[in-house]
Amino acid sequence: MRAKSTKHRTLASLSRALPGVLTLAAGIVVWQVVSLFFLPVFLPGPAILVERMVAIYSNPASYLVVGETLLQIFEGFVVSMVIGTALGLVMGLKRSIELFFDSWIMVLLTFPAVCWAFLSVLWFGLSQIAAIVTIVLIVFPFVAMNIWAGTKAIEKNLIEMGRVYKADRSLMLRKVLIPQLMPYIFSSLRIALSLSWKIALVAEAFGTGGGVGQRLTNWFQETRVDMMLAWGVSFMIVMVLIDLLVFRAWARRTFAWRPQLAT
Amino acid sequence: MSAQYAHNVQRIDMAPAVADKAMRQGVMASSAITIDNLTKRFPAPGSGDEFVVLKDISLTVDDGKFVSIVGPSGCGKSTLLNVIAGIESYDGGAVAIHPKAGSAGSGPRIGYVFQSPRLLNWLTVENNINFVLEAHKVPRSRWRDLVAKNLAMVGLAGQERNYPLNLSGGMQQRVAIARALAIEPDILLMDEPFSHLDAITARKMRFDLMEILERAKPTILFVTHDLSEAVFLSDHIYMMSTKPAQIFKHVAIDIPRPRKPEDARVFDLEKELVREFFSVVEAKG
Repeated sequence: MRAKSTKHRTLASLSRALPGVLTLAAGIVVWQVVSLFFLPVFLPGPAILVERMVAIYSNPASYLVVGETLLQIFEGFVVSMVIGTALGLVMGLKRSIELFFDSWIMVLLTFPAVCWAFLSVLWFGLSQIAAIVTIVLIVFPFVAMNIWAGTKAIEKNLIEMGRVYKADRSLMLRKVLIPQLMPYIFSSLRIALSLSWKIALVAEAFGTGGGVGQRLTNWFQETRVDMMLAWGVSFMIVMVLIDLLVFRAWARRTFAWRPQLAT
Repeated sequence: MSAQYAHNVQRIDMAPAVADKAMRQGVMASSAITIDNLTKRFPAPGSGDEFVVLKDISLTVDDGKFVSIVGPSGCGKSTLLNVIAGIESYDGGAVAIHPKAGSAGSGPRIGYVFQSPRLLNWLTVENNINFVLEAHKVPRSRWRDLVAKNLAMVGLAGQERNYPLNLSGGMQQRVAIARALAIEPDILLMDEPFSHLDAITARKMRFDLMEILERAKPTILFVTHDLSEAVFLSDHIYMMSTKPAQIFKHVAIDIPRPRKPEDARVFDLEKELVREFFSVVEAKG
């Protein structure tokens, strides 16, 4: 019975993926045709791009470059998630804290990202810290706002149930509140990751550290679009894989109790 | 011996108790709950006024008895249960819950079965029950037995690992009952627990609840708007009118158990109470 349902699910997900795959394939064909009219250093076709990527990743040093950037993203991402989740949670649960931080979140959200990047460089110098601070300052307000919105959707009935049965604060948080926030936490994770990596590359391009961003700047100075795209696209693939293999799989496990949504 | 636990020590409004003398004597014997002249007001929306939700409610629930409160929808029955459960404050009178002699821990253990199951859908059936055991600081070593025993009691043996959303509405409500029984409550509060179920399931659940009573002997305060349900299940019925909620009649039912809903005595009592109920409730508008 289980084998059958797995097979069904695989078929279903294949047929769902089909339109996406078709447009992607069509896009690649158009891209290849258009690229024939330009020099590869100005607009490389997909075939040449793959060639360049192979060239990049046959050099072991490239993995260090990617690793350096990933580490920065990871640090900024984790710090943003922790601060943002904690703040969003207390804002949702404590009216006084909500009133206090309400306008601050808006200020942070509307402050231009590029200003944070400049300010961080001025305050922390051309260092990794500057990149991480930039990520945190831009990302954590998004996370806080998302989690805060999530607390508004918490079922009062279940909190009442917990109170009747005298659940203490920690039990309430672990078993009643956080599970109801999980959809919001997952959407925050994905927003935070995608913002973090984009900001990290920009910060590196500013010259705060080595990493993929700096490679992009170097190739930009030599006007090599092909190499810039090869770095950019390959890095994008890494991030998409992290999203698919880590977050989606984790979400599937977390929401196993909700069969209709586990896709 | 059994320390009296009061949610609230304020004792104002000490008008003569409405409860009759027989019930008073019952208090002396072994009561699980005594409520004296309980009054509760809510602020009226829009104005600075308050309106009285519960007025001079006095009642007693003796150990091991099944007591029902019957009243029209919106008369404040749920508010009364919430006051007893300690999640809602009150403005006058006294509520006292007496923990069973020899029961461990601090304060009374209150089981509560709501209209909807209110299960934590992300936890397995077993972990839903473990949740209240953990909340009441029941030693972890006893969890497995308590879960198995109470699931078997409600006819859900073997469902430990299942998730609530895989169960039917009736089965979810059974889990909620098992959860309430697992803490071995001093008092089990039930707020129209079968009103969300279809008639056939509800009927079956009532029979099964009777059977559970035989075995677990819990003390139950049951709230309903369904008089036939109340007559079928209860040892005592308190009838409540609305605006403000006031108890206007107390009936002791001595029809022997096990009862059948088709039993002539159940029918006759129901008819009589329905007549009286509507004459009072309709007169009040």
